[in-house]
Amino acid sequence: VTTAPERAIRSVLVAGGGITALSAAIAFARALPNVSVSLLETPLDPGALVDRLPGTMASVHGFHRRIGVDEVELVRSGAATHVVGTRFENWGEQSWYHVHGDYGLPGTGTPFHWIWLAAWKAGKAKPFHLYSAPAALAAAERFIHPVPDPASPLHAYDYDLRLDPSRYCEILSAVADRYRITRERGGLEGAERREDGGLAAVRLKDGRRIEADLFIDACGPSAPLLSIVGGAFESWSEALPCDRLLLATSSTATPTPTDSITAMPWGWRWTSPGSSHSLQAYVYASTISSEREVRIASGGDAEAISFRPGRRSEPWARNVLAIGDAAVVVDPLYGAGSLLALSAIQRALDLLPGRDCYPLTLREYNRLTEAEALRARDFLSLHYLASSRRYGPFWKAMAKRDRPNSLAHILRQWTYRSQLPFYQEASFTREGWHAVLLGMGVMPRHIDYRASALDPEQCALVLQQTKEAIAKLPTALLPYPDYLRRMIGR
Amino acid sequence: VEDRKQRVVVVGGGTAGWMVATTLVRLLPHACTVQLVESVEIGIVGVGEATLPHLRAFVQTLGIDEAEFMKTTHATFKLGIDFRDFGRIGTAYLHPFGDFARPVNDVPFYHYWLRMRAEGRRDSVFEYSVANVMSAANRFAPPATDKASLMSTISYAYQFDATLFAPYLRAYAEARGARRTEGKVVEVEQDPQSGDITAIKLENGPRIEGDLFIDCSGFRSLLLGGTLEEPWEDWSPWLPCDRACALPCTPLPGPIEPLTRATAMTAGWRWRIPLQHRVGNGYVYSSSHISDDEAVRAITGAVEGKPLAEPRILKFRAGRRRNGWSHNVVALGLASGFLEPLESTSIYLVQAAITQLVELFPHGGIEPADRNEFNRMMDLEYERIRDFLILHYHATERDDSDFWNHVRTMEVPVSLEEKIELWRKEARVARHNTGLFHEPSWVAVYIGQGIVPEAWDQRADAPDSTSLGQGLDHLRAQIRQVVATLPDHREFIERRNAAIAEPVT
Repeated sequence: VTTAPERAIRSVLVAGGGITALSAAIAFARALPNVSVSLLETPLDPGALVDRLPGTMASVHGFHRRIGVDEVELVRSGAATHVVGTRFENWGEQSWYHVHGDYGLPGTGTPFHWIWLAAWKAGKAKPFHLYSAPAALAAAERFIHPVPDPASPLHAYDYDLRLDPSRYCEILSAVADRYRITRERGGLEGAERREDGGLAAVRLKDGRRIEADLFIDACGPSAPLLSIVGGAFESWSEALPCDRLLLATSSTATPTPTDSITAMPWGWRWTSPGSSHSLQAYVYASTISSEREVRIASGGDAEAISFRPGRRSEPWARNVLAIGDAAVVVDPLYGAGSLLALSAIQRALDLLPGRDCYPLTLREYNRLTEAEALRARDFLSLHYLASSRRYGPFWKAMAKRDRPNSLAHILRQWTYRSQLPFYQEASFTREGWHAVLLGMGVMPRHIDYRASALDPEQCALVLQQTKEAIAKLPTALLPYPDYLRRMIGR
Repeated sequence: VEDRKQRVVVVGGGTAGWMVATTLVRLLPHACTVQLVESVEIGIVGVGEATLPHLRAFVQTLGIDEAEFMKTTHATFKLGIDFRDFGRIGTAYLHPFGDFARPVNDVPFYHYWLRMRAEGRRDSVFEYSVANVMSAANRFAPPATDKASLMSTISYAYQFDATLFAPYLRAYAEARGARRTEGKVVEVEQDPQSGDITAIKLENGPRIEGDLFIDCSGFRSLLLGGTLEEPWEDWSPWLPCDRACALPCTPLPGPIEPLTRATAMTAGWRWRIPLQHRVGNGYVYSSSHISDDEAVRAITGAVEGKPLAEPRILKFRAGRRRNGWSHNVVALGLASGFLEPLESTSIYLVQAAITQLVELFPHGGIEPADRNEFNRMMDLEYERIRDFLILHYHATERDDSDFWNHVRTMEVPVSLEEKIELWRKEARVARHNTGLFHEPSWVAVYIGQGIVPEAWDQRADAPDSTSLGQGLDHLRAQIRQVVATLPDHREFIERRNAAIAEPVT
């Protein structure tokens, strides 16, 4: 018997009604086999974007590997399809693609955006996305899993999964059973506090009480458990203006590995064609446009969802840890909320304190979580506050908004010298920033000295060869529905 | 329309001056002209012999052949720093370059070790550092690129003759267009409105104009501290050592240790750095605790070889200029601040500042935001290194002298106090993704100096004791086995030198 187990967490209660709660419970049960993990299944909060929307980011693959979820199984059961890229339309002068991966061909050596900028300065560059293999696949609506050969242009990229929330929950549910997670059902009635201010137990409507050393609040934006012990809310409505979403599904879809996000006069429309149905989300700012205006586009059946972008300033307070929308609500662009949720779960495990929830550890957790959330906020905010689009009331209003200081700093570094400053805990890559900035036409005044030293003619030649090689890639690939059929062996 | 080239004037030609000159002519030849002013009369400090693994990136950027570079500067390989008598007299540990084994199930290796230690296992965590086992056996081979190999967990740096490093870089820079002017600066001209420096005048008449001035004038901090009066932040309450007595000696026969040794002394510590042609030695001490004479006697009594020169005393103080970049002056190295050489950070700090300068190199006029960004990044570097250095003194049981009583009981910066608490209580190392000294470095010093936490990562409880114990036994044996096949450090160097002398045709 040692000293550490005396302080070790013995029991964890995860409360929530969807993907976030299941993911957290499974991750904790897997990493901590000696801890008893229970899941209190509360009704799904309609405003919990992470639990409601199908977007995930590539980081989900690592999570699936850890917990033993097989991608083929996900696809076979209709819970997942692939997204190799997202097409952005009408945000600036031209379309662009968001992808995960390198630009250019393998083995170039020099950072590709330098080559592009040097050629662009000489007037010899085509749109940036034409030099990205995954963007070419997305444009052609083809998909292939990255190939193992590092010399292939189809090697260095990743992809997202488009998950069907209810089917995905069924799969996670089965995994939860494998990890022997105890299930409780029932509405939350209240909680009992410990002497130190933390939670001792939650009380359910049916009169039962459940004790735990650590409580994970994955109940969505209302954060009923975190709110008991603290959890001031910091609004991001200036940086992330959208706060309403109309969600519609249509059943007559052919799946594609390409999502599209189209700027509209009132905000933007997201189209995500999965295997059994296609989802449309209409995202807008209630302070600028009325639901009636947006319904003209969405049709009458769409479900209205309200959300409020922002974060809890202390997502881990005492022995209550908030995950997902209970901790941070971000704009639904890119499904960044699910990325932040998975990252928070892993960080909590990496820093897991003893059951006294040592304040310095929580502070370190909250510090890193804040840094990550702010970086994500700035990346999303970029789409609104740096766009040159002026058509429509939403965009006219955006043009007048002040940028958060950190975003203003990033944009200054970019427009002045084509560089992006370094920040800790950045979840979106430099390539991702480049794609948006160049895609929206936010061009640098000076290009990096190391780029301007390159020979523009040589760079133009590299670009031309790259574009030709990349343009050919999709033609050799199966149409996506055939690829899917082959993958699941049908 | 491209801007005209920036006229860069480097004041001072030591390690810092020639490092920045070589970098600029190599990376930004189309953006600037480089003129370096130095005076042979002033000379350079040049005792810095120890470096960190980052310097390899510098060598690569310049496109220099490593073997040739090492031969010219009489360099040896360095796998870490061997600290003796720090936590307690009679103890020793290596701050290794590289990691302790590899994480298992997302959990850093040392947590499993901490758990097994609590269960009664009696081995040292350093037995799981490949760099440590290698250096104890005086063996060396470069790291493996294959992540599956244990040899991929190591890293290395150089130990070289710093007085040969600057001339080596000078030849490189001059061959690529840097101009060198001999002379002492006697006057500095400033723009009356902005306060920016416009020109410097040299003793024998020449006047040199510039757009950007790089102050590499050493402790004098001629432009930043002198002309611009940038305030000094004093860190000597935490880092009281303010003198060094250097005493290079003849090399010893037998194996060359691939490490720098730092041995704690009554009023500081002494270094021992084996190069190919000599062994560098020196005593870093606090002048308020012992006199120069005592220090000279102590180092003279401690060295192994025959002295190659008279003992030479250097004076300094710990601290830094508040901003390293002010107006159009960027100070590098000692002109911007000084942290004692305990963790070989001097050259690293020069390199880090140069990297930032290249990233933020002005197009036309200097933007205040660029200066702020440079200063923000350098603040992070300086403060983290400061805390890491203080830890070496503060984490001790020594009570055998006033010096050690002072550093053991002094109040440390809150940022460090919290880091130590986080480790002691929870076995966590505060994370940052930039700058120096990551998790394994902190773990080495904590454990090496006797701060062993009461806890470990709870995920390390997952395996049962027996199989975990067997796993550790196996890993330890594997590391020994791998190391036993590696070449001797001296032989490795001699073979490489010979290959340069007689190129195969």
